[in-house]
Amino acid sequence: MLQLLADLARWLTGPAQWQGSGGIAVRLLEHLEYSLLATLAGAVLALPLGLFIGHTRRFAFLAINLAGFGRALPTVGLVTLVFLAGGLSMWPVYVALIALAVPVIVTNTYAGMTAVDPDVTDAARGVGMTGPQVLFKVELPLALPLVMTGLRLAMIQVVSTATIAAYVSFGGLGRYIFDGLAQRDLVQVLGGAVLVAVVAVLLDLAMAGLQRSLFRNRPADAR
Amino acid sequence: MSSIPAPRRRTVLSGLLAAAAVPAVTACSGGITSLKGGGSGGSGAADSGAGLVIGTANFTENQILGHLYAEALRGSGVKATVKPSLGSREVVVPALEGGDIDLLPEYQGNLLLHFDKKAKETEAGELQNALAAELPASLEALPYAAAEDKDVFAVTRETAEKHGLKSYADLRKTDGELVFGGPAEDKTRVVGLVGFRERYDVTFKEFKALDASGPLVKGALKKGDVDIANLFSTDADIRENDWVVLSDPLHMVPAQHVVPVVRSAVADAPVRKALARLGTALTTSELSKLNRMVDVDREDPDDVAAEWAAEHGLTEN
Repeated sequence: MLQLLADLARWLTGPAQWQGSGGIAVRLLEHLEYSLLATLAGAVLALPLGLFIGHTRRFAFLAINLAGFGRALPTVGLVTLVFLAGGLSMWPVYVALIALAVPVIVTNTYAGMTAVDPDVTDAARGVGMTGPQVLFKVELPLALPLVMTGLRLAMIQVVSTATIAAYVSFGGLGRYIFDGLAQRDLVQVLGGAVLVAVVAVLLDLAMAGLQRSLFRNRPADAR
Repeated sequence: MSSIPAPRRRTVLSGLLAAAAVPAVTACSGGITSLKGGGSGGSGAADSGAGLVIGTANFTENQILGHLYAEALRGSGVKATVKPSLGSREVVVPALEGGDIDLLPEYQGNLLLHFDKKAKETEAGELQNALAAELPASLEALPYAAAEDKDVFAVTRETAEKHGLKSYADLRKTDGELVFGGPAEDKTRVVGLVGFRERYDVTFKEFKALDASGPLVKGALKKGDVDIANLFSTDADIRENDWVVLSDPLHMVPAQHVVPVVRSAVADAPVRKALARLGTALTTSELSKLNRMVDVDREDPDDVAAEWAAEHGLTEN
């Protein structure tokens, strides 16, 4: 056990391990690229949808259940399916990661919108605000903490699942996990897993910091 | 060659299933000691009312083989029962050594590696001799079957014709232009990139880590995303897609002919004869057909074995 930890420390700190096309630096950047792109694409798809169903309260039942269905999709199965349909490219990975991000963002955005006190939106309409004004000036600011939580959750899930890229021959930190398992190199597997965990925690902390600074002036909502 | 037996690396799915089956395997390994008690008396399995006890490992092809052995033996008037899916090689071989089972369908190269981790033999005849030397005194490897389940590297008919490929040695003509698809371990393995480089002086343009004879690498070969793929010789998709399996003149890949391993104490003349007749009739393409009937068409291993044995005249003496 101690030997393993020593080997792991050597693996993580060896300068040779960090350099080159298969080095940690490159894999780390690949991993961040996959994760951030997928989360961003997920947000672009999910935020408008969540805001729409939250604002209009229409299609909510359908959208929330579809999101629940999306959450149940097995990621490896989805990657394989898209791979077999479309061939070897990053598409299977992105489709699976985006499918992972969208449901979380939709449900959290919707939850944030429904948590807005109806008296407040009534009052906003009462003073003559238009629909879009109610949405962007009243509902969205009030729902923002939960919306942000959805984005954070999606990001963490995507970061930890982006290892799947290695399943279909691409890079990222999953490369160490898949190669290490295949080659029975436990240190490499552990190294990859530790790196993924560290990246996930650091990104979450960064998002938490962003969230806090955004809501600094609104103690009632800032959580 | 890794220590993972080639026939067990079917797909990621079966890998997951295997992982899920770990408790079951443990249960089996506990249960094997009690197989003996199940008979109607006597000290060894062979003496019990069950007749010769055939054990099989926990994957489709091995179960089919176990049932084929049983059919062939019964056809020669030898009583036999099958204990299917007892576990991995690490479970079934000790069960055979301990006398809990009498007969086991095995694969040459992987079986030899089980007893001698440093074995270097790759050619079928050499392997058979090495097995004779390495097996414990109580066990014997009978003549091997024509059928073989080993790692092969295949290209599409189109690629083969374009570059004039027949063997791994011909790959040198491609000047490292081909994209290689296989499981991640192929990168560091002798039965993989290392062997191609050292044995055949062949390099590839790129290595795509996918799976071994699984949906990914087969899909990629079909679509042309990889040019040469690591498949298993009994994979029925090879024939279906008219893929070309290249030959291995320098014996880079150890032979994995199906070989019956038996406790010497029960290996009398009728048993030897019956298994030898089966081994001659059972070719790689026949075995891959049987695999397909069970894995794809969802038939029962004992049914397909009985049908096949009857068709090939093994059930009458």
